[in-house]
Amino acid sequence: MFEDSALRLLIYDEIVRTGETPAVSTLSRLVSATLDDVRASLRRMHDAHMLVLQPTGEILMANPFSAVPTPFVTEVGGRRWFGNCIWDSLGIIATLHADGRVLASCGTSGEAMELSVHGGVLTGEGIVHFALPAGRWWDNIVFN
Amino acid sequence: MLLFRSEEMVNLWCRNWNLPRGAILSPATCWALAREWYRDRRDPKWRRRTVDEAHALFNQLGLTGDFWKLN
Repeated sequence: MFEDSALRLLIYDEIVRTGETPAVSTLSRLVSATLDDVRASLRRMHDAHMLVLQPTGEILMANPFSAVPTPFVTEVGGRRWFGNCIWDSLGIIATLHADGRVLASCGTSGEAMELSVHGGVLTGEGIVHFALPAGRWWDNIVFN
Repeated sequence: MLLFRSEEMVNLWCRNWNLPRGAILSPATCWALAREWYRDRRDPKWRRRTVDEAHALFNQLGLTGDFWKLN
């Protein structure tokens, strides 16, 4: 049997290694466990706000990474991942402990925007808007 | 949490969504928040921050007031 914490780390390792969020079936194979056991583990972590599941039970967010395309592309070392929002797209750079850049767009005009991090220092224009107060972030994490 | 070209763009977004304006951060502050929030995400010993720990981080970055209260 596997621990939730081990599955959590495996999910991140797979995202970093492959650039894609692993499916439940992939995780089941990697930990040699049943689909039901993997789904139960993922559900516990979803309920604990450690990740976010799709209605199908597949992973939607292993924050800061998004399993689905978003307008927030993080580029590190020539590789790309999707972030869930501007905070998370910068969070991918932090998670990978590397230099990188975020290719995003203005939330209203759609105009292309870019933020870069080199040596821990950020450069780039724009302003970040948090629409919902912190106490409501998990009311609708997808909108947030 | 979205990135905008200007405050005018934020105001337009709020009007379009019929939502009050939330909190504005500079990209540098958002990066500081992201760095502290996510730097240990792949650490085997990682655990979710307690509410008090999260509030301490927000305070450290100048993110104060009711908007930043998690409870």
